[in-house]
Amino acid sequence: MLARSAQGLYWMSRYLERASHLCRLLQLQTEALVDRPIREIHFGWSRIYGSVSRQPPVGDLDWIDSDDYTLADSYTLADDLTFERANPGSVWSCLALGRENARQMRQCISAEMWTHLNLTYLRVQKLEIQDIWRVSPESFYAETVEESETFAGVAAATMYRDEGWRFVQLGRAIERAQLTTLLLLSQIEAGERAEHHFDADWTSLLRLYHAFEAYSRRFSVEVDPGQVLDLLATDPRLPGSLCRSLDSAAAELAAIGAGPHPGASDATRRLAGRLAALVNYDWPDSEDREALLRQINRYCWDLHQLVTDTYFDYPVEDLSTL
Amino acid sequence: MDFDSYDLDPIFYDEMFLADGSSRVACRQLHEALLDLSAEELASIQERVTRSFSNEGITFTVYGDAEADERIIPVDCVPRVLSNADWRHLESGLAQRLRTLNLFLEDVYDEAKVVADGVIPADVVYSCPQYRTQMRGFSAPNGTWVSICGTDLIRTNDGFRVLEDNLRVPSGVSYMIANRKAVKARFRHLYRTSRVQDVEHYGSILLETLREMSPRDHSSPSVALLTPGVYNSAFYEHMFLAGEIGAYLVEGRDLLVDGGIVYMRTTKGLRRVDVIYRRVDDDFIDPLAFRPDSMLGVPGLLDAYKRGNVALVNAPGTGVADDKSVYAYVTDMVRYYLGEEPILENVETFLCRRPEDLEYTLDNLEHLVVKRVGESGGYGMLVGPHATPRERREYAKQVRADPADFISQPTLALSRSPCLVGDRFEPRHVDLRPFVLCGRETRIVPGAFCRVALRRGSLVVNSSQGGGGKDLWVLEE
Repeated sequence: MLARSAQGLYWMSRYLERASHLCRLLQLQTEALVDRPIREIHFGWSRIYGSVSRQPPVGDLDWIDSDDYTLADSYTLADDLTFERANPGSVWSCLALGRENARQMRQCISAEMWTHLNLTYLRVQKLEIQDIWRVSPESFYAETVEESETFAGVAAATMYRDEGWRFVQLGRAIERAQLTTLLLLSQIEAGERAEHHFDADWTSLLRLYHAFEAYSRRFSVEVDPGQVLDLLATDPRLPGSLCRSLDSAAAELAAIGAGPHPGASDATRRLAGRLAALVNYDWPDSEDREALLRQINRYCWDLHQLVTDTYFDYPVEDLSTL
Repeated sequence: MDFDSYDLDPIFYDEMFLADGSSRVACRQLHEALLDLSAEELASIQERVTRSFSNEGITFTVYGDAEADERIIPVDCVPRVLSNADWRHLESGLAQRLRTLNLFLEDVYDEAKVVADGVIPADVVYSCPQYRTQMRGFSAPNGTWVSICGTDLIRTNDGFRVLEDNLRVPSGVSYMIANRKAVKARFRHLYRTSRVQDVEHYGSILLETLREMSPRDHSSPSVALLTPGVYNSAFYEHMFLAGEIGAYLVEGRDLLVDGGIVYMRTTKGLRRVDVIYRRVDDDFIDPLAFRPDSMLGVPGLLDAYKRGNVALVNAPGTGVADDKSVYAYVTDMVRYYLGEEPILENVETFLCRRPEDLEYTLDNLEHLVVKRVGESGGYGMLVGPHATPRERREYAKQVRADPADFISQPTLALSRSPCLVGDRFEPRHVDLRPFVLCGRETRIVPGAFCRVALRRGSLVVNSSQGGGGKDLWVLEE
């Protein structure tokens, strides 16, 4: 397929995954606003901002000490992450960018995918924070997450399994792996700053990955941070686990096969394999999970760059033609 | 809903009604169906037609907006019906005209006998900015310069007239299809019983035409549609057509020329392209041959075309044949090249480059429509009767400053067709743009993009100027 089309599909997928991930985080966070202690809400915001590497518009979060402040600021923070047009990582921006990529590559996806995505976009496009905040912000996030999951389902049910499909899956896998490593790192950091360990912070992380039941079955209802990390990183049965995303990236690259320069494609596949091996083989024996997560995150960036150089922006000199 | 308040003005041909208020034979079924529907039902039909466009993202971009805005072309849900006899007349006229224009292009870039024989003055041809010296001495494969043509036709009490030939990158065909899809679904029973001719196979006919143009004798040549990109007003159409014909939707940056062969960048490497349906203007297709500052083009593309290694559809240089001054000579060309009488007449046109025409134009501004030769899309024109005296004075100054850049035409009594306006039917002016395809043979889909001037009394149907669309039904015999 056309290199630019493959790139568009890859980015469409990345942006949509990013939007959906952020909505899941915000859904949990706005649910917490109803009845959770201020400390926990505060932890939640630190975790989110840490994971998206963004400075909150209200400044440093650490000084927050009064209930009123935290709740009032939550409105500002949610707006910043959801509807802020100038924030390229906001839900609104990610949806707009994902949809824009889809619009340009409409002929490469199924009509049903396009219509579904366009309707989601049209719904969100006109909203502002005050439209969702008064009654039930969490249901806005829940609906958006549901729409994104439906989109994945529509794609699975209707899209031709050609190369384009592979790049959609690859984009999603790489994005997920990156988001997960960043979130886990942010969780560890935010936890280190707190004076005590709170189970609630880790259960919310499990809930984010639909992993609470799985965790209690595998381990116990008592939450152990190390075990939570193990589960989220290495359990192949958990849909959102890190190892699943990385295995999937490696598998998609194998299916896509060689690009124009065989050397470059081999290097790309080797890196994907190394990444998968880091969680599958290095993780269990690792003394320093944080360092390992950092390494995985770095490799994810490198993998993205290699994919771009191999399939999208390759040099054309000395290239034989098809 | 009744037509009691519907205004029938004998000056304008009404597409649905005769002068006595009874419906034309071809429109009888539609008329009865409309009478049967309540105002609420019609409103709901209209609402659903409009919504289907927004949901599917059938949009166009308006130039000059701060943000390149995606807008929807407003569609009136009441179809316009054309009898089979009318259509056959148009069809033969359009085919005759395109045959002539291709002969003209082949001639004008070669020996220009048409000029030597005095059919058209040399300065009209050679001063036209769309006359491309780069194409001199080139002979197009099969003599086909124009493979895709969208001709604007209007109807008055005196019959059909050609308003304009669009021979460069005509657009609007996707709306012909989108309007049909949206409207027929809302008039299910009427549509089935009216025996309307299909237009939705346009894509397969287009593909056939493009394949016939392939320089390599190939049962499945690789076809690409070259778009200026997502900010172009017709991007939706480019995307839609690429999908219909299974072509790669490429931008200039996806293509490169090596050794006179055109390639596109795929994920597996460079792949040869045989046919390019280009929706980029001449000026921008190749910075080596045309405008050097073009970011949209492909260096070396013209050379590859001239070497016969790739088909460009339409060929570069076709703009000289749809120039507004050259237009005035097309009916003479029909007689000259084919020895036939033109089936479709032109609109009477005054070329301000001719002193007597200039004088006439300036003396009669309040009755005339004046257009700039090089503009299209309804930009830069003066509709005399609708302009203020001051606007006319200002415009006259411009005309005097550069007469050759202007033509004028009588203000035409464009036919009118009923539209749903609020809770009643009102007449609005319409035109139609059928699409003629020409590969090794000429093919015309029985239908057109019917444009409507949605503002009451307005004569400007261009989408960029507040125009909308209508579905056009050509009936079977």
